[in-house]
Amino acid sequence: MKKQLNLNVNGQDYEVEVEANRLLLQVLRDTLDLTGTKEGCSIGVCGACSVILDGRLVSSCLTLAAGCEGKKIETIEGLAKDGKLHPLQQAFIEYGGFQCGICTPGQIMAAKSLLDENPKPSEEEVKEWMSGNLCRCTGYYKILESVMAVVDGKTDPNYAFRKRETTAKIQSLDVYKSVAKTSSD
Amino acid sequence: MEYFEPKSIGDALSLLSKHGAEAKVIAGGTDVMVDIKFKEEPGALVNIKKIPSLAGITERGGSLRIGALTTIRDIETSALVREKLPVLWDACRQFASLQVRNTATIGGNICRASPSGESLTPLLVLEANAILAFSDGERSEPFKTFFQGPGKSAAGAKGLLTEVDIPIPPAGSKGVYLKHAVRGAMDIAMVGVAVMLTPDAGKNNAQDVRIGLGAVGPTPLRAPKTEALLKGKALTAALIKEAGALAATEASPITDQRSSAENRRWIVEALTRRGLEQTWKAATGKEVA
Ligand SMILES: Cc1cc2nc3c(=O)[nH]c(=O)nc-3n(C[C@H](O)[C@H](O)[C@H](O)COP(=O)(O)OP(=O)(O)OC[C@H]3O[C@@H](n4cnc5c(N)ncnc54)[C@H](O)[C@@H]3O)c2cc1C
Ligand code: FES
Ligand code: FES
Repeated sequence: MKKQLNLNVNGQDYEVEVEANRLLLQVLRDTLDLTGTKEGCSIGVCGACSVILDGRLVSSCLTLAAGCEGKKIETIEGLAKDGKLHPLQQAFIEYGGFQCGICTPGQIMAAKSLLDENPKPSEEEVKEWMSGNLCRCTGYYKILESVMAVVDGKTDPNYAFRKRETTAKIQSLDVYKSVAKTSSD
Repeated sequence: MEYFEPKSIGDALSLLSKHGAEAKVIAGGTDVMVDIKFKEEPGALVNIKKIPSLAGITERGGSLRIGALTTIRDIETSALVREKLPVLWDACRQFASLQVRNTATIGGNICRASPSGESLTPLLVLEANAILAFSDGERSEPFKTFFQGPGKSAAGAKGLLTEVDIPIPPAGSKGVYLKHAVRGAMDIAMVGVAVMLTPDAGKNNAQDVRIGLGAVGPTPLRAPKTEALLKGKALTAALIKEAGALAATEASPITDQRSSAENRRWIVEALTRRGLEQTWKAATGKEVA
């Protein structure tokens, strides 16, 4: 049975026609081409598919798309505004909050839902809130550090610039040049 | 698969009679969606989330009424539940991830009737009632008789759970829920134990003790012999030891991928002891002698 649905994603309305058994995760990725939301376990265990539905963090792999009509859906794609990253995205880059990146959209949406409700959580509160978001790479410390950087206002808008400067400085060192030479020989 | 969003209890009930065994109720869907993936897709899915007035927590004449669509998160964050029904609150905060708690409903947890369902033993010790709607009328069913086996309940395939009616325990009574699982709250319980203790007026004896055992039988269980052993007595270390051992004999666990039956009995013993120590201390202000 096909169903006509009106979905509001990141403030934009979409008309879609999908089978009634389609999951929100599938409609976001396959119908709307919003592939930022990731699929990990498909059964509600890993948090990779986390999105915010009417202000609440949910697993889109357990959510029927048909039940989302009339609700506000927020995904990772909605975070950057006017070409500027959301402070959480910025912090994950600066503080190394990800490696392979598959868990990252879910981690960031989980953190966003927390900061929306409580802008000044403690480290313990962040850990507790995000315990449903698994990461196989980072060991979690870098994720926690990234979220706390936003809480403590420690992200740096000049980060990219500083990073370029540091790279140039490293590249100008004799030791770098000799290593670069040996490896290219 | 056909899909329906009834707007009233009556409409939902007629869909369930019309589609018979083909029909499946879905609330939060945290069990149903996993079943659809791994087992089979029902012929008709009846989504009851759009029925108004099935969610919410209200106090009414010595009871708390919790609507079937109330999420585990709403129970966990309710100051009223935390104050009046600590044993239920304690279970809901040890329930899966935030993502699941935001979606899962208490009605789904109950109607799933899994012996390990987190809210079930608290409801048993609270001596709560299920308010059920059928096409020929409403009825109240105590949880003592509501659970009939794994996945089987008095709601059957044609009934809807609309509300849970929970008598508020006497003011001095204390309750805890202890969950044993490999990955803490994230995991299905290997054993869950709910303990509620009401002291007498002088806080010298346990006037009433209720013990619920989860994941150690085809349904969640009470431990009546252990409760009788403790009733009217002051809890001592020796008595608590005896109670733990007795509770282990009242459980009827099976061996599965999560644990052996023997291990489950040991855990029942340990958690019962721990639950009694904690509630005794909270209710009387005294350490166990
Ligand atoms: C990753 C994960 C972790 C989990 N961890 C836990 C845990 O720690 N503890 C725990 O107890 N459970 C856990 N569960 C199981 C599940 O989340 C709970 O059982 C939940 O409460 C089910 O509620 P729901 O609203 O999602 O139910 P649904 O999936 O919508 O329905 C469950 C069952 O109840 C029936 N039903 C639902 N509402 C009604 C009603 N009002 N009247 C009649 N029938 C109804 C449905 O037909 C279905 O058979 C977990 C599930 C997942 C996916
Ligand atoms: S993919 Fe949804 S929780 Fe893992
Ligand atoms: S960055 Fe690879 S799983 Fe988290």
